[in-house]
Amino acid sequence: MTAVSVPIEHVLVLAAALFTIGLVGVLVRRNVIFLLMSLEIMMNACGLAFIAAGARWAEADGQIMYMLILALAAAEVAVGLGLVLQLQRRFDNLDIDAASELAG
Amino acid sequence: MTALDFQALAPHLTLTGGLMVVLLAVSFWRSHRTAFALTLLSLAAAFIALWPGLGAGPRAVTPLLMLDAYAAFFNGLFILIGAVTALLAHRYLEGRAGSQEEFHVLLLAATLGAMTLASAQHFAALLLGLEILSISLYAMVAYPEEDHPPLEAALKYLVLSGVGSTIMLFGMALIYHATGALGFAELAAFAATGDRADLWLSAGLVLFVIGIAFKLSLVPFHMWTPDVYQGAPAPVTAYLATVSKAAVFAVLLRFAVDAQLLDLSSGAQVSVAMLFAIIAVLSMVIGNVLALLQNSIKRLLAYSSIAHVGYLLIALLVLNALPGQPMAVETALVFLVGYLAMTLAAFAVVSELSSAADGERDQIEEYSGLFWRHPVLASVLTAALLSLAGIPLTAGFIAKFYLFAAGVDGELWGLLWAMVVGSAISIYYYLKIVFAMTVRGADAPAIPASFAGVATAAVLGVVVLAIGIYPTPLIGLASDIAQGLRLTP
Repeated sequence: MTAVSVPIEHVLVLAAALFTIGLVGVLVRRNVIFLLMSLEIMMNACGLAFIAAGARWAEADGQIMYMLILALAAAEVAVGLGLVLQLQRRFDNLDIDAASELAG
Repeated sequence: MTALDFQALAPHLTLTGGLMVVLLAVSFWRSHRTAFALTLLSLAAAFIALWPGLGAGPRAVTPLLMLDAYAAFFNGLFILIGAVTALLAHRYLEGRAGSQEEFHVLLLAATLGAMTLASAQHFAALLLGLEILSISLYAMVAYPEEDHPPLEAALKYLVLSGVGSTIMLFGMALIYHATGALGFAELAAFAATGDRADLWLSAGLVLFVIGIAFKLSLVPFHMWTPDVYQGAPAPVTAYLATVSKAAVFAVLLRFAVDAQLLDLSSGAQVSVAMLFAIIAVLSMVIGNVLALLQNSIKRLLAYSSIAHVGYLLIALLVLNALPGQPMAVETALVFLVGYLAMTLAAFAVVSELSSAADGERDQIEEYSGLFWRHPVLASVLTAALLSLAGIPLTAGFIAKFYLFAAGVDGELWGLLWAMVVGSAISIYYYLKIVFAMTVRGADAPAIPASFAGVATAAVLGVVVLAIGIYPTPLIGLASDIAQGLRLTP
C-alpha cells in the first residue's frame, strides 16, 4: 500500500538527534522548567526509537514500551512541577544555580 | 494467570494491598501513629508472604517477572530495610509542622518498586520497577519541603536520575532494535546465535552501561550523589544508599547471569567487561580520595558508598572471568548483605542525631565527644565505620575477604590493586570520625533520639558484628541461592 517507506535507520538517527538536543538542553539550560522540558524531549526520543525498533521486528512490544515511557514521563513531570512550585513559592527563583547551596 | 502465579506473587500483592490500606486510612483519618503502625504491619505481612511465595517454586509469572529464591532474598532485605527506614523516619518527622502520613505511603511504594526490580527478567519490568522506586524517592527526598536543602537535593536527583533513566532507555531501544529481544532469556538466545558485531548493539550496550552507572552512582557519573545524600533527610539517605543501590545491582546481576550481558558484546567494537572494569577502578580510587576531603559525614558516606559499589563490580567481572560458576553470585550476595548492614547502621546513627524540626546534624565536629554523650549510638557508629574500613570481626571484613578471594580466582589483578589501595585510603577517613567521637566535647546540643530508634541502631550494630563473627549461615544462604540461578558456562 505504501510506495515509499522510510528506512528504520533514518528514524533511529532522528531519535538520536532528538536525544542529543535534549541532553544538551539539560547540560546548558539553567531554568528548571527548561530542564524538565529537555528531559521530556529525551524521553520522547527514547519512545520514537522503541517504535522504530518495534516496526523493524513487526511487534507491538515497541509501542507498549512507548506507553510505559509516556506514563513514566507524566509521573516524573508531575513530581518535577510540584518541586518547581515549592521552589518558586519559598525561594522566588527558578534558576538551578541560584538555588545551589549544597557544596558541589 | 493461575492460582500458583498469584501465590508466587504473594509478597508483591500483599505489599500493594498494604499500600492501598495506608493510602485510604490516611485520607480518612490523619494520624501519624496509625499510618506508621499500618506501614509496619504491611511490611511484616509482606515479609511473612515471602514463604508462601517461595512455596510456589521458582516461577516465571508472565514474561516480565521471575519469582525465585534470588528474588525472595532481595525482597526480604528490601522489606527489612523499609521497616528500619519507617522506624527512623517516624521519630525524625515527628516534630515537624504539616502532615507526616504520606511519607509512609511513598516508602511502601518505593519498596514495591525495589521488589519489582529484584524479580525483573524483562526490560519492561526493569523500567517499571526502576521508575516506581525513583519517583517515590524524589518525593521522599523533598518531603520536608519547608527547608532549602531537601528541595534542592530532590531537584538535582530528579534531573540527573531522569537523565540516567533516559540514557538507559535509549540503550534498551537500540538493543531491542539490534536483537529483537526485550526479555533477558531471549537476549541470551540472541547472544548464542545472533550477529554481535552490530554497531547499534554496541551503542545500545554502552548507553545501557552508562545508565546503570548513573543509577549506581559510579564514577564518572556520580556527581549527583554527595549533594543528594547531604540534602535529603537522613532516613531517606539511608534508604537511598541501601535499597536503591541494591535493587539496581540485583537486576544488573540477574541481567548479567540470564542475558549474558558481558558476553553479548564479545566480538563487538566495545567490551562491556572492559567498560565495567574502568568504571570500577575509577570509582574505587576517586570515591576514596574525595571522601578524604569531606567534613560532612553524609557526604563522606556518599563517597564511601561510591567506592563500595566499585568493589562490588569486581564480583560482576568475576562472573565474566569464570563463567558458569556460582561463586561470583555468592560473593556478590555476601558483599551486598555486609554493605547494606553497615551502611544502614551508620545512617541510622546519623538519623537518630538529626530531626526535621532541628535540622541535620552531619558535620564531623558535631560528633565530637559522642562516646560520652550517647555511648550506645557512638558504639554502633564505631562498629559500622570499622566494618566499612574492613577491620576483622566485622561484616565488612568478611565482605571484602570474600570479594578478594573471588578476584584472585578470576585473576583480576588490576582491580584487586585498586581495591587494596582504596581500602588503605579509606581507613584514614573512617578512623577520623571514630577519633572525633572520643574527644571530650564541651557544650553539645541535646540528642533527639527515641528509644525505638536507638534500639534499631543497636540491632543493626549487632548484626554487623554477628555477620563478622559467625558468617556461616549467610554464606550458606548465598551459596544456595547462587546454585539456584540458571548459570550457563
